[in-house]
Parts: sequence; C-alpha cells; structure tokens
Amino acid sequence: MNGKIKFLIGIIVYFALLWLAQNFLRDYHLRLLIQFGLTAIVALGVNLTNGYTNIFSLGFGGTMLVAGYTTALLTLPVEYKAQFLQLPLWLEQLSVPFPLAMLIAGCLGMLASIILLLPAFRLRGQYFILASMGINIVVENLAENVRWLTHGNIGLRGIPMYTNIWWVFGLLAIIFYCLHRLMQSKHGRALVVISKDQELAGVMGINVVRYKVLSFAVGSFISGIGAALWCHQVLMINPKAFSLLYVFQLVAMIAIGGTGTLSGPIIGAAILMIGTELIMPLQEGFTLFGMTIPPAFGAINVFTAILLIIIMIFRPKGLMNGKELWEHFPRLFGLKKQSSS
Amino acid sequence: MDLYLLQQVINALSYGSILALLAIGYTMIYGILGLINFAHGEIFMIGAFCAYLLITFVGSPFILGIAAAVGGAMLIGLFIERFIYRPCLNRNAEVLTVFIASFGASLGFRNLMTMIYGDGRRAFPIPPQLDQILVTESGLFINTKDIWIFGVTLILLIAVSCFIKFSRLGVAMRAVAYNANAARLVGVNSRVIVTLAFAIGSALAGVSAVAYGTSFGILNPSMGYLAGLNGFIAAVLGGIGNVPGAAIAGFIIGLGEVLFVGLLPPSWSAIRPTFVWILLFIILFIKPSGLFRPNIRIE
Repeated sequence: MNGKIKFLIGIIVYFALLWLAQNFLRDYHLRLLIQFGLTAIVALGVNLTNGYTNIFSLGFGGTMLVAGYTTALLTLPVEYKAQFLQLPLWLEQLSVPFPLAMLIAGCLGMLASIILLLPAFRLRGQYFILASMGINIVVENLAENVRWLTHGNIGLRGIPMYTNIWWVFGLLAIIFYCLHRLMQSKHGRALVVISKDQELAGVMGINVVRYKVLSFAVGSFISGIGAALWCHQVLMINPKAFSLLYVFQLVAMIAIGGTGTLSGPIIGAAILMIGTELIMPLQEGFTLFGMTIPPAFGAINVFTAILLIIIMIFRPKGLMNGKELWEHFPRLFGLKKQSSS
Repeated sequence: MDLYLLQQVINALSYGSILALLAIGYTMIYGILGLINFAHGEIFMIGAFCAYLLITFVGSPFILGIAAAVGGAMLIGLFIERFIYRPCLNRNAEVLTVFIASFGASLGFRNLMTMIYGDGRRAFPIPPQLDQILVTESGLFINTKDIWIFGVTLILLIAVSCFIKFSRLGVAMRAVAYNANAARLVGVNSRVIVTLAFAIGSALAGVSAVAYGTSFGILNPSMGYLAGLNGFIAAVLGGIGNVPGAAIAGFIIGLGEVLFVGLLPPSWSAIRPTFVWILLFIILFIKPSGLFRPNIRIE
C-alpha cells in the first residue's frame, strides 16, 4: 500500500516537473530536453540488446533509418510526396495519424532488425559486431540510391512536427517501466543468463535463439519509436541521419553510463548532452580577449572518444558498474537497503 | 570482351593491393591479441596525411613521403597499443570492452583530424613520372602507378610471409598467436611480440595509405572508414589470422568490386558497399571461418 502511494506520488511529481518545464523553460532549452528524452528512449532500446543480452550490435543505425523513413513516408503531406517521390499510388495517398505512424515505424524497424540480423546470429563475438555494422552500411547505401522511395541524398524534408515534451517523456516513462518489469520477469532473467553464458543458458532449457530474437525485436522496436520521435522533432531525415557517428555517440552513452542497467543509459545520455552543450562554443569557434579561436568541427566527438576510452580503461562496466542508481543510493529513493542477493 | 575483362583486372590491381596490405594488419593483430583493431583504418588515414603534409608543404621527395607515412602510421599504431590496448588488457578487460575502446579511438582520431584539417577532400600529390599511361599493342591501358603499387605490395607480402615463416621473431609470433601462455613459458616476451605485430601492421597500413593516395589522388579524414572496413572484410574472408589468406582475399575483394562496377549497368555502381557486404554475408554463411584454412593463428 505504502509502495503504491509512493509510486503515485512519483508519477505526479514527474508530470508536474514536465508541466513546469514546458511552461517555464526557454524554447531552446525545451528542445534540448526533448532531444535528451528521445535519445534516452533510443539508448534504452539499444541497451536491451547491447547491455542486458550482451550481444553487441552496431546495426541499430540501420533499423532506425528504416523506422525513420517509415514514419516520414506515412505522415508527409500528399502533395510533397507527389512532387518529389515516385511512390505507388496507395502509399502516396496514405496519411495516418502520428501515434499509428510511430507504431508502424517501430514494427517495421523490428522487422528489419529480425530479417537483417537472423543471418548474423550464426556468427559470434566480434564477427557479429562486424556483420551488424554491415547492416548500417547496407541500409544507408540503399537509402542513398533507392531514389523513388527516399529522395536520395537530399532526404525528406518538411515532416510535420508532432513530437512534444508529453509524447517523449510519457513514452520514456512507459518504456522505462515496461523494461523494468521485463527485466524482473522470467524472460528478462533468461536474457541475463544468455549474456553470461550462452551454453549454460541452453543447458538450462532456455531457447537461446528465440530469446536473442526477442531481445532484438523489443530493442529495435523501442529504438524505432525513438527514431520516429526524432524525425518529428528534427522535421527531416536523410541517409546520414543515423550514420556511424550517431551509432558511436549512442554506444558511448551506454558504455559511459553503464551497460546492463536501466539508469545507466539515461545518465550517459544526460552526461553527453550536457557535455555537448558545454563544448559547443568551442566547436563553433569564439573570440577570447581579442584572440579568435577558429571553429573546430568534431571537437565534441574527440572529447566523447577520450571520455569513453578513459571509462573503458578504469571502469569497464560504466559509471553505474552494473547496479541501478537506486541501488547505489537507496536512501535517496526511499528504499530499504537490501542485502546483496 | 576478354580484353575488357583483362582491363578490369588490371584496374583492380592497385585497389586489391591496398586492401591486401590493410588486411594483413588486421589479421596479425587479431591473430595475436584476439581483437579487432577497429582503429586500423585511422592508422591508415594518418599515414596518408603524414605523406601528404610532408610532400605538399615541405616539398620533400616522394620517397621521403612514403617513409613519413610508414613512420607516422607506426607511431600512431604503437601509441594506440601502448595507451589504449595495453591498459585495458592489463586489467583483464573483456574483449567487448577493448573493442568499445578501439571504436572510441577510431572515431576520436578521425574527428581529431577533421577538427584540424576539415572534412574536405584534398589532392594527394602524385609524382608525374609515376603517373603515365602505357598502351599495349592489343589496346590495353596500363597505368604505371598501378604496376608500381602492385610490385611493391607483392614484395612486401613475400617479405612479411617469409619473416613470419622463417625468422626467429616470426616463429615467436606464431607461438604467441597459437598459445600465449605456453609461449611465455618457453621464454617468449609476448609484450614485445604484441608491439611488433602492431608495428608491422601499422607500417603496412602506411604503405597502403600512400598506395591509396597515389591510386585515387585524394584523401580526407574519413577515408579510413570504408577502406578499413573493406580491409577487415578481406581479413575475415581470408580466414582471420592467416596472412597470405588475407592478402589473397584482399585481391579478391578488390577484383570483385571493380568487376561489379565494370560488368553491371552504371546505375548500379553506387551500391558497391552493399555488394561487398552481401558477398561477405554469403561467404560467412557458407564458410564462417573464411575462405582459407579455419584458424585463429598466424601461418
């Protein structure tokens, strides 16, 4: 009973904070907050496969691209599609509401990941990483060249704006809760066993391939939804949208925050977003005491890389080190300190 | 048609050489450490930039440029080994952790170069005496630089293979690749061997970088990405850890790509990367251990 009340209070506080953010933050900061929220959604999705199940995949860029183009094609105005693309008539005339488009985008991202990754399941370890990377390159390459569907390198512009703070943070909360429940269920534990030892999991009667596919399906569904939200926030998509650089930043977020935890990716996302904002002036060049510092594009990624390497050397499991935030500070969250299980 | 095919094969020589040289670096480091050196493409890129900067801005002769490329690539390779791989491995990090670190190193170096030089394409200075086109009696066009690249590559491949097969250090290298602990027991300094593998691999990447610059005439900070990945695919196809296999697979991929562009309609040529990956998928599907000799050791 007590727990339920606390839970309710938590939700009310969360939404009250969102309301305050929407009404009192400046436009720029609000955008940043939304960006952070949808990055956190993607990071949570990727973390399910790369962290909990420990099958390190770099292919999520490709599946997110599939999801992004899906939602763009489903919601773009009909005139725009008629002008720039050579679509079949049914697709050209199709226009669906945002939530449905997002759902379909997530499902197609899921489908893409299953179709593309099933062959790769024959491979293990670093070979799998390589093969998953191929998915990024193949999807990106196709998106550049299948012009009738994707408008080539230019990409699709003028996607209607639907993403707002309520969608992003509402979905973030729902996804966070679902993942939390999933990881405490039988299925979540099966994923964790697979991450430790695949043979052992097989011996224990866990259907390893089925659970790997499940993990990828759920993970890419979530990151696909993230991609859809991203599209309706940035209002455009092109083949380079989720390229290697994006993949790298997400991997860095998860690895810095802590793989295999729910709070790790979110904290990692927050650290990198704040870091990016701090370094942004350096990247754009500025004048200091009459000295002009030229713009240095890529400074953000250099700092990210250095931070990532340092964390990998000194704290290989990330800042969270395999424990959730509320396990590190149980008092703060009103939990009793549990004896280690 | 036969002539056309032969022409394509000649065109593929230099590209195949570039990939073969890169693939050896991947395969040696994987053979010894069991790790994909994801930053190998960036070692390659920095080698190319060293040569470019020396030749263009100092005006040094081309041969010094090659030396600079080899030296710069080796320096970066050893730097990565000393400051990224070794600290990780000393702490018994998991393979995945080290891979993420090398992923970070790769993106870090690439963006560092972007930061300094911008992401634009630059013209690589090609000495005019290397860049002449010979026409044979049967009507084949042969560019002298392709011949040079292929010749130098062939010599290096034979030298490296002989070094690994016959020299004392080469034998020690194979021993470490086969079983690092046993090698240590019989008195092989495995640390030196790891350093050596990085040095040789990076030096070959430096040569490959000059070959790339000479062959395509351009360089930019992200050139190492696709070239490095294709080199790695070659290493996988060649049965990773197998040096001659990697070299042959490099030529196969180079030839495959050129034939793909040469034989299929021009509108298809843009999807070259997709073709390479589909080739890789098919081969990994049929023979997951690569085309030549399934092993995780240097032969």
